[in-house]
Amino acid sequence: MSTFVKRLGAAGRIAENVVLVFLLSGMMLLAVGQIVLRELFDTGFVWADELVKLMVLWLAMVGSIAAGRDNRHIRIDLLSHVLPERLVRMSRVLVDLFAAGVCAVITWHAWRYLQLEIEFEDTVLIDTPAWIAHSIMPLAFALLAYRFAVSALAQLVLSPAGKDEAQT
Amino acid sequence: MILFSVLLILLAILGAPLFAVIATSAMLGFYRGETDLMNMALEVQSIADLPFLAAIPLFTFAGYVLSESNAPQRLVRVTNALLGWMPGGLALVCLAACAFFTAFTGASGVTIIALGAILYPALKQDGYDDRFNLGLVTSSGSLGLLFAPSLPLILYGVVAEVPIDSLFLAGILPGLVMLAMLSGWSFWVNRHNRKPLADFSIREVGKALREAIWELPLPFVVLGGIYSGFFAVSEAAAITALYVLIVEVLILREIPLRKLPEVMRQSMVLVGGILIILGVSLASTNYMIGAGVPQLLFEYIQGLVSSPVTFLILLLVFLLILGAILDIFSAIVLVVPLMLPIAAGYEIHPVHLGIVFLAAMQLGYLTPPVGLNLFIASYRFEKPIMQVYAATLPFLLILLLSVVLITFWPALSLWLPGLE
Repeated sequence: MSTFVKRLGAAGRIAENVVLVFLLSGMMLLAVGQIVLRELFDTGFVWADELVKLMVLWLAMVGSIAAGRDNRHIRIDLLSHVLPERLVRMSRVLVDLFAAGVCAVITWHAWRYLQLEIEFEDTVLIDTPAWIAHSIMPLAFALLAYRFAVSALAQLVLSPAGKDEAQT
Repeated sequence: MILFSVLLILLAILGAPLFAVIATSAMLGFYRGETDLMNMALEVQSIADLPFLAAIPLFTFAGYVLSESNAPQRLVRVTNALLGWMPGGLALVCLAACAFFTAFTGASGVTIIALGAILYPALKQDGYDDRFNLGLVTSSGSLGLLFAPSLPLILYGVVAEVPIDSLFLAGILPGLVMLAMLSGWSFWVNRHNRKPLADFSIREVGKALREAIWELPLPFVVLGGIYSGFFAVSEAAAITALYVLIVEVLILREIPLRKLPEVMRQSMVLVGGILIILGVSLASTNYMIGAGVPQLLFEYIQGLVSSPVTFLILLLVFLLILGAILDIFSAIVLVVPLMLPIAAGYEIHPVHLGIVFLAAMQLGYLTPPVGLNLFIASYRFEKPIMQVYAATLPFLLILLLSVVLITFWPALSLWLPGLE
């Protein structure tokens, strides 16, 4: 694969890590901060609980984007232990194309829903537009669709020696 | 209709990501019910409405940090100092340390990698039979699932809407029964090799405890905090995660700061994989409940069996098969919502159902064809998979016996939380 694609992959990986680091650290500090405020000062932020929950959603979605890149989505791993490698690769092409299609369909509907939220001016966290919080939905599924499509292609064209590149 | 279902199952067996399979089945349901497919997005994003869910990423992260540090070695040393003096002590050490560690890391196969690597050679050196060691380490890898704050327990609580502190209490006695039965078996197998590791030494206990001084407060924070009602589960998780991070990275410096993003990524990859399945399952569950599937299932099963005992037998058989095919997390989010109303029809308490569910699914880690522990052990200790199967079989049978006991003795689960 070209160096451009490789660089793009490396940058994407770093971007995922940065977002995950911020979300996870932020969630820890916010949750512990709430406890300290409550126990010591008998106070707290009204929006903190909801923000933590939205951060869980983001962690889940960004985590699943990362799982797509690392090929760590949960599958029934039955055939890879019994079938010859060629057939395993063939079936992987098929199921990854399927997954790419499913994710593309969800992306489309998540996008439609997001537009509806913009139209109705839904809000979260008191006065933040809901579409900002939920923009991760179409984004995540779009990236997953892309990831599975790339993975299927890579399985199809690459020699077994090129396995590493399939990860980028 | 049936064609589609068969096709989806086929895709799942061929190795399609489970979330995609479940999402498809939900969307087909929506499509037939003339529900807008936008609901798919809505359902997945409604994981942000679930209570306690923050506990899952936080405890998972804490578990990953612990397993990347030298905490496993310290844990083994403490357990060794406390139990190693008994004849056959090292086997006990293995069981106890693994159970403890799995409770904190959530049974994702980390235990075999983190602790097995220390214990397996130690057992060998101590003159235990290789076959026994392999079976012991492999089956210990998922022991401790029933102890707080294990991930599957929390996930069951979230999905079944059962108070998590009740579940944490409910898991204690059944978990101890499993431990006791496996320990008994280990004693029996090694009855001719009764050499204690070393004499009990209060000095060694002191040294081991001092070495583990930073990790010692952890069980008290987590369990004490939750059981006393001082913290909510997600708060205990936040404190645990932050504490572990500060101790292992800033104080003991066993994980370099630059490695931290990678540890975070690894743990969140697992969390993302589980939660996206939870999200799409919310959609498929809602569709099925709307379509009255649990009611139909209940009527069908009631036609087959009338007594709760027969139902439990049926349940157990079903769960053992389920566990052999599906991983524990997917099984919880997919099956529990459908099973709850049926079990309620037979007056089975949801807390008891949860313990039975998890205990039975634990066996799935050890059963062919997809038992995760078998493959991890085979890979980690470089043994042929058939040899691992064979070595694990006696332990699997003992665990099966304990699961039967847990299933038909509800008081074991319900007594401590006071639900009997």
